[in-house]
Amino acid sequence: MNQENFLEPSANPHLQDCPGLRAMIIGVGGAGTSLVDGLRFDNFDYVENLVIDVDVRSLADSLAAEKLTFGRRHTRGMGTGGDVKLARRAIEEEKDKLREKLDGVDLVFLLAGLGGGTGGGVASVVARLARERGALVFAFAPMPFSWEKSRHAQAEECLEDLRKHANAVIPLPNDSLLQIGGPDATALECFAEAGRNVSRGISAICNLIYRKGMIDVDFVHLRKAFGGRAGRTLFGYGKGAGKDGLREAMRELLVCPMLHLPDVSKAADILLIFINGGPNLGMSALQSASQEIREAFKAGEQVVFGAHVDENMGDEVRIIVLGATDLGTASPMADVAPPAQEVFHATSKPKETHPSRLSINQKEAKKMVSKRGSKKKTSESLEQNTFSFMEDQNQRGIFDNLPSRNMYEGEDLDVPTYLRRGVQINL
Amino acid sequence: MSKIIGAVEIGTSKAKALVGEVSEGKPLSIVGMATRPNEGMRKGEIIDFNKVGTSVHTALAEAEKMSGTTVDSIYLAQTGSHLSGSVLRASANVSSSDGRVSASDLQRAADEAKRRKPENGRSYVHYVRMPILLDGRPVEDPVGMIGKKVEIVYWAIEGNDSAIRANLDVANSYGLEVDDLILSSIASSTLVAGPDLKRAGVLVIDMGAGVTDLAIYRSGHVAYTGVIPVGGDHVSGDLAMGLRVFEPYAEKLKLTYGLAQHDSSAQDEKVWITNEKTIGDRAVSRKAISSIIHVRVVELFEIIAKELGDFLNPEELGAGVVLTGGASRLPGIEQVASMVLGVPARKATFPSEIGKDLAQPENATVLGLLHYALEDNRLPGQPKSNENSGILSKIGGLLGI
Repeated sequence: MNQENFLEPSANPHLQDCPGLRAMIIGVGGAGTSLVDGLRFDNFDYVENLVIDVDVRSLADSLAAEKLTFGRRHTRGMGTGGDVKLARRAIEEEKDKLREKLDGVDLVFLLAGLGGGTGGGVASVVARLARERGALVFAFAPMPFSWEKSRHAQAEECLEDLRKHANAVIPLPNDSLLQIGGPDATALECFAEAGRNVSRGISAICNLIYRKGMIDVDFVHLRKAFGGRAGRTLFGYGKGAGKDGLREAMRELLVCPMLHLPDVSKAADILLIFINGGPNLGMSALQSASQEIREAFKAGEQVVFGAHVDENMGDEVRIIVLGATDLGTASPMADVAPPAQEVFHATSKPKETHPSRLSINQKEAKKMVSKRGSKKKTSESLEQNTFSFMEDQNQRGIFDNLPSRNMYEGEDLDVPTYLRRGVQINL
Repeated sequence: MSKIIGAVEIGTSKAKALVGEVSEGKPLSIVGMATRPNEGMRKGEIIDFNKVGTSVHTALAEAEKMSGTTVDSIYLAQTGSHLSGSVLRASANVSSSDGRVSASDLQRAADEAKRRKPENGRSYVHYVRMPILLDGRPVEDPVGMIGKKVEIVYWAIEGNDSAIRANLDVANSYGLEVDDLILSSIASSTLVAGPDLKRAGVLVIDMGAGVTDLAIYRSGHVAYTGVIPVGGDHVSGDLAMGLRVFEPYAEKLKLTYGLAQHDSSAQDEKVWITNEKTIGDRAVSRKAISSIIHVRVVELFEIIAKELGDFLNPEELGAGVVLTGGASRLPGIEQVASMVLGVPARKATFPSEIGKDLAQPENATVLGLLHYALEDNRLPGQPKSNENSGILSKIGGLLGI
């Protein structure tokens, strides 16, 4: 199927002048570049990729299709040595080159290790420029270990900065790597797992937009939900197999280590739920799963739900959630992007306005929409005995509401020690 | 004639009120005590004034009801990471012609020492007397001794005006006067470390829910106090995150199965989180619970060791380390403390006159408040009426008097 069929051109003036929705994965700095390279094997054929670095040698080794070097004048083609200011100065001088690359891109996945000079310094600039050009920016940001004290502090600052510019930032703390891997995981496997997390996030969003599914979401919906938003995010996944696959996946999602990190929001004002499963995925099971997820994350009206059937998955089920919250208290968003609302109004009607997208199972989708509507009305009276025991509890971490951090020699004492010291906990 | 005195500790997890009766020639008797959960605090500092007020007031009302009397004024414990201690010293020349030290010489030195004011926005809350020096020699009571110069040294604890004020307001809004503010660690030490331990040298660690208070004593006098903003809540928080359960369940798991150190000889077993066999329940390994707790507790003692620096000298701590406070209930915590601090540690024991139901580690501070208040903390040779260490002299400025 051609990408052009995916969107109704007349409905969206912003996308009209480009042949299709353009998504781009941008890796910044050493860590970002290697993440992009890792993603090459994950079949994101329809997504462009670009790597940006000052280090010419590391760029030369990269598999990415497009490469951009900058700062030759400052570093003579070598790295920044962790100097954020140097990287920022260098990129500011060559902004135009970057703008050119970002022209016409609608969706940017920004991958940048914030502990490095280039990643930390340039990521927020790239995010800003991309949003200026009208793109929606999702950033995945590996954070250095807590014991790398000065680097960690620098990364925290860069994270703050990046949050001001990107639509959603998902920090991937290295501290959590030990909790993610299995009991005997090697360092390499742990880092590979971190890469897989990025891949999961990107594929969830891309699948929502590009692939035809049972319950579809398009870019405009995504844009409405995440456009102009910043603040804390959450990102989690779960998978299950067998007869009770969906239930198992739900259970795994709720204990996903990525959801149990400091700085990760426990509730979401905007929530993106993506469920991927084999042909046996039951409709009512999907309904109740989405309802449970919404309640588990205290999601409001802003829920983007997508479900796709993949024949190759058999009885396997995967759930990915991505959410954002704290919008009220978040640092003010740099107001550079065209207002998402305007774009949205043109197509704010439900799915029916996209007949070309759903030509095959349009009827099913319509049925789905009406079902979703009725579900909403009755949702309050619905008995949720399974996970309801979590409802009354305080969903936020106990030290979440404190304004100041509990710093001692560069470490935040409110963050669990086992995370900072890299002690693996096997449940 | 008997006198009723009250003590209040506004702790991070619980507010405690105590009513005591002292009569001539008899030891203190506790006639009322109540504890109420407190949800308005984090790490020893008030975040929700109304919640704190309610729990303090209900605790006080209940303690009063139990005692059948009313309390007019209380001693209030102070803690929180905003507190910091420093040494204040001042000297006075012996004024009398025969060279004998008089009480007024001491008073002059003391006034001089207390004249110093901390920087703006901070006030002294508690002066703890350190040794008196007569011509450079430490003496217990110099009055009547011959010398040229007496020097008085205080360990002065200062804190943020707004935090202290919030504490006072809680008491005042119940119509109570505050007799004095007393540092929590000093109060606890009064109870769990007697004069003999203090002479031998002792480190008292009071592990609360929100903060850990410490006080070190050498040759009978306080040498250092500190507050570390890590407590039992952090252990529960770590468990909640590490086991991926909600806070109340983490707290329950900590109390039921928590160990400061995993027993490597024991077989690892799984325990249920809610134990209600509901659909969302899971089993977690006890080893996971104890490993999460262990690293946190080890880190806490490492921070204590760093904070104490040279004060942590086994030769000067003859009586070792005494652990008290609710978080010290954690089984095996004394072994971890001994290992990290390099000084033998044990859990606190209470004086025998304190009833069994009161002699609990989490009551050390509030019981200690009353004992400290009754102790003679006056300067040698000072008449009782002349005692000038009341709250007004300390924070009169803060109250606008």
